[in-house]
Amino acid sequence: MATRNRTLLFRKYRNSLRSVRAPLSSSSLTGTRSGVGPVIEMASTSLLNPNRSYAPVSTTEDPGNSSAITVGLPPAWVDVSEEISVNIQRARTKMAELGKAHAKALMPSFGDGKEDQHNIESLTQEITFLLKKSEKQLQRLSAAGPSEDSNVRKNVQRSLATDLQLLSMELRKKQSTYLKRLRQQKEDGVDLEMNLSRNRYRPDEDDFGDMLNENQMSKIKKSEEVSVEREKEIQQVVESVNDLAQIMKDLSTLVIDQGTIVDRIDYNIENVGTTVEDGLKQLQKAERTQRHGGMVKCASVLVILCFIMLLLLILKEIFV
Amino acid sequence: MVLVTSVRDYINRMLQDISGMKVLILDSETVSNVSIVYSQSELLQKEVFLVEMIDSISVSKESMSHLKAVYFIRPTSENIQKLRYQLAHPRFGEYHLFFSNLLKDTQIHILADSDEQEVVQQVQEYYADFVAGDPYHFTLNMASNHLYMIPAVVDPSGLQRFSDRVVDGIAAVFLALKRRPVIRYQRTSDTAKRIAQETAKLMYQHESALFDFRRTESSPLLLVIDRRDDPVTPLLNQWTYQAMVHELIGLQDNKVDLKAIGSLPKDQQVVSFLQCHVLLVGNLYLIHLFSWQEVVLSSEQDAFFKSNMYENFGDIGMNIKRMVDDFQQVAKSNQNIQTVEDMARFVDNYPEYKKMQGNVSKHVTLVTEMSKLVEARKLMMVSQTEQDLACNGGQGAAYEAVTNLLNNESVSDIDRLRLVMLYALRYEKENPVQLMQLFNKLASRSPKYKPGLVQFLLKQAGVEKRTGDLFGNRDLLNIARNMARGLKGVENVYTQHQPLLFQTMESITRGRLRDVDYPFVGDHFQQGRPQEVVIFMVGGTTYEESRSVALQNATNSGIRFILGGSAVLNSKRFLKDLEEAQRISRSGSHMV
Repeated sequence: MATRNRTLLFRKYRNSLRSVRAPLSSSSLTGTRSGVGPVIEMASTSLLNPNRSYAPVSTTEDPGNSSAITVGLPPAWVDVSEEISVNIQRARTKMAELGKAHAKALMPSFGDGKEDQHNIESLTQEITFLLKKSEKQLQRLSAAGPSEDSNVRKNVQRSLATDLQLLSMELRKKQSTYLKRLRQQKEDGVDLEMNLSRNRYRPDEDDFGDMLNENQMSKIKKSEEVSVEREKEIQQVVESVNDLAQIMKDLSTLVIDQGTIVDRIDYNIENVGTTVEDGLKQLQKAERTQRHGGMVKCASVLVILCFIMLLLLILKEIFV
Repeated sequence: MVLVTSVRDYINRMLQDISGMKVLILDSETVSNVSIVYSQSELLQKEVFLVEMIDSISVSKESMSHLKAVYFIRPTSENIQKLRYQLAHPRFGEYHLFFSNLLKDTQIHILADSDEQEVVQQVQEYYADFVAGDPYHFTLNMASNHLYMIPAVVDPSGLQRFSDRVVDGIAAVFLALKRRPVIRYQRTSDTAKRIAQETAKLMYQHESALFDFRRTESSPLLLVIDRRDDPVTPLLNQWTYQAMVHELIGLQDNKVDLKAIGSLPKDQQVVSFLQCHVLLVGNLYLIHLFSWQEVVLSSEQDAFFKSNMYENFGDIGMNIKRMVDDFQQVAKSNQNIQTVEDMARFVDNYPEYKKMQGNVSKHVTLVTEMSKLVEARKLMMVSQTEQDLACNGGQGAAYEAVTNLLNNESVSDIDRLRLVMLYALRYEKENPVQLMQLFNKLASRSPKYKPGLVQFLLKQAGVEKRTGDLFGNRDLLNIARNMARGLKGVENVYTQHQPLLFQTMESITRGRLRDVDYPFVGDHFQQGRPQEVVIFMVGGTTYEESRSVALQNATNSGIRFILGGSAVLNSKRFLKDLEEAQRISRSGSHMV
């Protein structure tokens, strides 16, 4: 695809025009803008000039041939958004570590693997904690009022929410695959042991009594251990499903459904103005229908009738 | 595909080298160009956290210097003026200006003059100056489309503006494709000739260096034709999905606005087997939500739409039923959660499920609404007569059929008008008495009918003005072909019409496009067949024609066709353009 760069020509014109304009003072530039926060004044001849100085310029000085540019600091919520993205990045690196730890734990090893388990647990907990913290901070980004700044905030919120959701789903997938593989390994191990124990005790089958009881006892113990482990794993799965469901519920209001109308740029531009209008119209309509509603009329008619009847009753009493 | 990809590439390039939080500023035309190929979530990924229109941005006074402004606008004089003001009072930290077409030196000078604070970092021309709705179809979305019908003497400046915009759009398409074409035009159309000549001047003289691309073995062909050579296609009712949605409801930038049709009376009987399914599948409560909303119909993002957009109404119904059945299965299995694993699986699959639910509801709503309209306007009956008028012979039978429908109370005004127009286009010279009778009957039956509109149409697009053999009755070969088709019988009475464009494409494929009818501009010449052809239809294209192009491209004949127009027409829009042109011509002749 073809493009054409007109920046050189533009700069040429700009420079030549600047030299024409330079003798005129440009002191009207400062103080015309209402920044949203503290401002830093910079004195520079041109943004392209590498020898800029950052000395503050007061308006009483004669600017000479320098023009002052005010650069406002970004609003406070930008810090919050940056914190969230830093947390998300940290969570991502931890997820990579977790993947490695999972792989290591699944490899057959001589130790009892308790250290690996501990490592995995702590990593998982850290990641979940980071995700939860980010999600809470995300709620702080919500703003009220249909200003431009609130639109930016809402969009930043949406973008971070999408990242968070993807991360939590990735975590979930990693966990489930790890647990599945672990379970498979344990089953194979237990089956193997079961088979071995069965083979060992087969020649002594004729010997009822203590031997078999012992055999049965060890079998029962093994199956107990297995079930205890299974329960623990199920507990873990339930917890993580809960956490994940919670996060997804909160995020689902923020994340955009791709391919739908809300994912269209033109819809988002138009909608900023019209939803407020529509809401107002609906309210007015509701008010009107309530006032002119048939219900109100019926009720008032009935009340009036009641009064009339009461009056008639009283009159009847008086005249009889 | 290539046009959509080019626009996306342009936008990607605009955004990728600028770091930090950005605001994207568009004008009323580029917002369509961008929205149709790029989604809001993709913009968010590129750190564009605000999208504004250039009109509304000067109103606000908030200064947001932590944002960098990326402008993507057309280089019109209005936009340049607005930009002047905004550069003189900058609200953002940096300004990156991208224009969708060629800038004049004077415009750059004006901008440089207003950039006192030197906030502009770059000024570029990125030629995404068209709306790439479908892989082989683009449009320019021109509001004053009717100007092409007005002779130059009546409104010279209007025609110049029209021509300029079209030339800009065509130039942008070829710059995006990085090709310089050989140009041919339809001889009988002055507007087409003018546009072809001005495009040639731009590409070969004024900006010759810019268009000097690497030459391939065969140059592509640009063919500029006129809508008035085939006035029948926009008047016909459509029965394939995309075309039908545009005809009955309206498709704008791949969006359907369902709010417009919500006003049908509630006691209309609806004949649709899908309704039964709606009641059965409890999860589809979303159907009611959609009736007051807008939905997106894009072949890029919706796989079901992509495989069904060119299918006819009956087949769509069956495919939707299948989709609903599949969805019902998934919904049932989701409700059957017994174990912890099921729960986990449900949570994992929930986004997919939600998306599927939304998609199913969207299509069911659309087809339901269209069924209602078909029933209310008796379109099956009307369309059968329309197709007969367009494709088969028999003046006497046609006259009777049209008269009957005109007398029928439940046929709407616009349908009556269309029938008379189709009859008039076909039997313009046969039996003028009966033709006159039809005009009178139409005028008496339809109070809102602007008198003389049909005659105006005949003046614009009558048999003398047309080049192509619209009804296949000009030369013996075509007559024979028609008779053979009549004897064979048609698969589907409602989709038997082939737009004239189909024949034009066939001629090009066989290398037999007649020089007499479609001459070359200046001293251009082309030996043999081109491999890429861009057909631009002055006055607008229709979705029936874009379907024809897509199907032709699918046959892999060795030639790739791309179709473009100044607008995308349905019968309502075509009639509106006719009325507008008639009004201007009348007032013009009064002035003379």
